[in-house]
Amino acid sequence: MLGAVIGGGFSMVAGMMGQKAAKAREKKAAHERNRLQLKLDNLEANRQDIINPFQDMSAMISNPFANLSVATKAAEMKIEEADISLASTLDTLRATGASAGGATALAQAALRSKKGVAASIEMQEKQNEDKRAAGEKQKQDALMREGQRVQQGEAWEFGQREQREMQQLDRTASLLGASKQAEAQAQMDGTQAMTGMLGSLGGIAGSAFGSTSS
Amino acid sequence: MENKNLFQNLYLKQFNESNAIAYSKDFIANTSDYNFQLLDNAYRNAGKVYAQIKIAIETGKCQSEHCSMELAQLKQLEDAPQASLDFLASIMAELGVTEESTFDPNNNYRYSVANSLMNGRPGFSKTDGYEAYLNLLPEGSQEVVFMGPAFGSPLIINSSALNALNDSGTSLVASTPEINKDMLRLLTEVGLFAPDMVGENEELTPNAKISDEFTLKNLDGTYDYEIVELGNGKGRNMLQFDMDKIAKKITPFVNAEVAGLMSSEQSVIAAWNVYISQDTSVEEDDQMAQNANAGADSWSYEKDLPLKQSKKVLFEKKYNEYFINNYLKQFVTDQMPTVKEDAAVFDIEEAKKAKAQKFLKDNNLN
Repeated sequence: MLGAVIGGGFSMVAGMMGQKAAKAREKKAAHERNRLQLKLDNLEANRQDIINPFQDMSAMISNPFANLSVATKAAEMKIEEADISLASTLDTLRATGASAGGATALAQAALRSKKGVAASIEMQEKQNEDKRAAGEKQKQDALMREGQRVQQGEAWEFGQREQREMQQLDRTASLLGASKQAEAQAQMDGTQAMTGMLGSLGGIAGSAFGSTSS
Repeated sequence: MENKNLFQNLYLKQFNESNAIAYSKDFIANTSDYNFQLLDNAYRNAGKVYAQIKIAIETGKCQSEHCSMELAQLKQLEDAPQASLDFLASIMAELGVTEESTFDPNNNYRYSVANSLMNGRPGFSKTDGYEAYLNLLPEGSQEVVFMGPAFGSPLIINSSALNALNDSGTSLVASTPEINKDMLRLLTEVGLFAPDMVGENEELTPNAKISDEFTLKNLDGTYDYEIVELGNGKGRNMLQFDMDKIAKKITPFVNAEVAGLMSSEQSVIAAWNVYISQDTSVEEDDQMAQNANAGADSWSYEKDLPLKQSKKVLFEKKYNEYFINNYLKQFVTDQMPTVKEDAAVFDIEEAKKAKAQKFLKDNNLN
């Protein structure tokens, strides 16, 4: 029936049917290619966030001994007490008419007391410095361990993402490749069908053009 | 207009499938002439024109300087037969969509008529008042003109317009996506099933089950079963599933599927009209011959393209629901326990008592 509708002879009709089918396949394959490409783009663009249990915690690492203060208040109080004690003793000495030697001995005792206080402050400062240094070393060690852990985490996250997404992406990409192949094959089929019809074209074009010009 | 279009399409579909014409005495008694002879008629005078141009060139009697116009016309005529074949094959491929089993009857019915004519279907012959011409146009393009009772005004398809449509991935007639096939494949992709549940045909195996991580469990790790009554006081445990977790898992993959479909918005409309809009089941869709369309909820190819964002969002939502209701639901309902001891039929009263005792014990309420 197609022969009557189209005209042009049997091989023309056969070729036409072949080309029609090839065109339909080509169109379907092209459509499928576009569909899969968009799907692939969407999958790539919307990969879910992966919560990394190894996330960087270095901001939370600090040296707890970095800002230790010396207990100067106590030292000041000791000095004040020594001064008050000195003044009070001097008053007593004056009242009892004690010798100047006693007052000198008293002043020396007060000086010793103040030196003791200074030594205590120095010792505190030294201890604090030691603690600060030890704390800083601990902090650096912890930061280094955290850095290594974060690196592990990045590797883990990459691995997880790859494992979870790649299967689906690979599959879609593979289907995309297949649809491209199908499209190319359909184009080839169409060309072959067209080539088959070219003989018949002579029947239409050749005879029409040739018969008049001869 | 849409109703008339729908009616015409459905009528043609049923007419072609029903074999009714075989019982028409008038049709059987008369000759039907299908000799539209598109190519023969189109090229009947082409030889003469070709010869005239050739003679003009060879004898130096061209109308244009250096015979440029005549040479161009000659080239056009030489290329025309192949272009005609290509054009007719393209038209037939386009019209062939009207024969697909899932064809959306909201497509313009005149393409269904044209397809019937091109395939020489009973009732669409010259005798029935139909005509078709292939015209070679002066600027080099070609057109096919369809005429006849069912067309109303002539249906004209131009080759350059059709080529432009094809090049941009658009079709004269929207093909309905193979939703059933797509969703069966999608089931294997959403991450609910272990890879060994997928068979060689890329579909789930008959005994496929959703992975254990999506089942509901008690704090002690035992399964949180639903008790289904079997009658006569007997019952059976059924697995329950964490639907929120499942929804969260599948959403990105369903959305990606929809994004792929959006590569052709006319196909989205076809899918909407034939499958998605009416909350019908797969079985209902399969059974529907006449009413496999969205009816009053149909989206129109003429009016609704390009699709508005609100329609895209609605389609995505409904597509997701269709997938869950028709394809996923079977895997989350009436699923027998995987633990053999839990799969046995039991006395419901006893089970209720045992469950209550366990609750009291777990919560130190004794």
